[in-house]
Amino acid sequence: MNRFVLAAFVIIAPFPSAATAQQPTHSVQGAVRLVDVRRRALEVTTGVGLALRVVRLQVPADVRVTAAGAALPLNQLAPGDIVRVSYGALPSGYLAYTIERVGRMATGVEGTP
Amino acid sequence: MSRRLGVWYVALALAALSTACRRPPQPGDPLLGLSATERARFDSGRVVFDSAFTPEIGLGPLFNSDACGECHEEPVAGGLGDETERHAAAFHAVPPAGARPCDELVALGGPVFQQRVTPALRAAVGIDSEPVPPQATGIATRTSPDVFGFGLLDAVPDSAILVLADPDDRDGDGISGRPNRFFDGRIGRFGRKALVPTLREFNDGAFVIEQGVTNPAVLDEGTFGDRPFPMGTDPTPEPELSRAGIDLVDFFVRLLAPPAPQRLSREARPGRELFARVGCDGCHIPALQTGDSPVAALRRREVAAYTDLLLHDMGPELADICFGLATPSEFRTEPLMGVRLMARFLHDGRATTLEQAIEMHAGEAARSRDRFRTLTAEERAAVVAFLKTL
Repeated sequence: MNRFVLAAFVIIAPFPSAATAQQPTHSVQGAVRLVDVRRRALEVTTGVGLALRVVRLQVPADVRVTAAGAALPLNQLAPGDIVRVSYGALPSGYLAYTIERVGRMATGVEGTP
Repeated sequence: MSRRLGVWYVALALAALSTACRRPPQPGDPLLGLSATERARFDSGRVVFDSAFTPEIGLGPLFNSDACGECHEEPVAGGLGDETERHAAAFHAVPPAGARPCDELVALGGPVFQQRVTPALRAAVGIDSEPVPPQATGIATRTSPDVFGFGLLDAVPDSAILVLADPDDRDGDGISGRPNRFFDGRIGRFGRKALVPTLREFNDGAFVIEQGVTNPAVLDEGTFGDRPFPMGTDPTPEPELSRAGIDLVDFFVRLLAPPAPQRLSREARPGRELFARVGCDGCHIPALQTGDSPVAALRRREVAAYTDLLLHDMGPELADICFGLATPSEFRTEPLMGVRLMARFLHDGRATTLEQAIEMHAGEAARSRDRFRTLTAEERAAVVAFLKTL
């Protein structure tokens, strides 16, 4: 069975490098559920219909986090931010390759990110 | 009159008679104007919709029903069900550090907590339903709505929804509808909290959360609470439903016609005007326009939906769970198309009459409810009679 999005997340020190990962790239766009800067961990809520899922990711120190093309420290991501993440699967869990903040879950009537 | 002209008159008369006699869609009928191919796909989709799954072919391990048609069955496939289901979430008006106000409990098996399990899961973990975690601050009951006309709702452009939004109540009418948004930022419209952006996603997800049947869009059953399912409890390879199968179901649901409004009786006729006068149509917008669609029957149509597909605060008495941007007391305006088929009303079926349902409106609807209360008994009956034509 594909346990695609809820695989256990194991912290490994030193953190793996995004550049060294050789796994196929997946991508997800969803809302930040949790950011743990100290453990370099990111959780993103996504899903299909009401079948919701949490994607748990490791964020290596060299991963580029951006917003509107500019670099963004990981600690500037907040729950409710909408991010587009490319990532790969490792035996220890999912590893982020790139993270782009594309918007925020907000009540406004502006367009979709 | 020449013979040729006479033939033309007869042909025109027959054409007019045919149009006049064309039966308006009844519950379970497809939209008018389908091609023969579309009609064949619609009929095939109904078969899959009514097909029951067993654990051997993918049901479970957690599920609420074994077929779409188990919960959407009255008076025909695609209709209402007397089943209810259980959703839960945790809402914190002042969120904990590093969290959104709403936690849909996704990491703990939520937001839908299934009420049935397969024999294999029962044998493995000894439960009869998925337990709601103690972190939940609210548990919601949800009735099974009919899905008639949902394809037309799907075809309404986002812009038509957004133009109705007034999140800051700038027009001062006491109604401040706002859109919900899915986690990727898209406008939501399906579900009692308007979280889900498209009908296709709603259908794809429903197979998994309602029946535990995976499909190409959702290749895993999720978790049991926060744990993976025990080995051997889900023996069927993924996906358990093929893309062709779910395409057919989606086509069937998408092309189900909304029940045509009935002719207004003498009693109901003033009810339509009173419905507007008391302000019900501030949220229950009588008609929406669809946009472009690859299916001609869905393209640029008017749908008598009686909804704005927006979230509105309905007051503390109805409040249950948060969902996306929706707070516990916010609900999507329920479409009233087909409301005459219902025996229970509101999101959890707590009202057994339309008048009760109106009385239970509060929050942004309080002003309209109060105006309704000032009507005479005859006028209130007229409003209800009008609703029973929808």
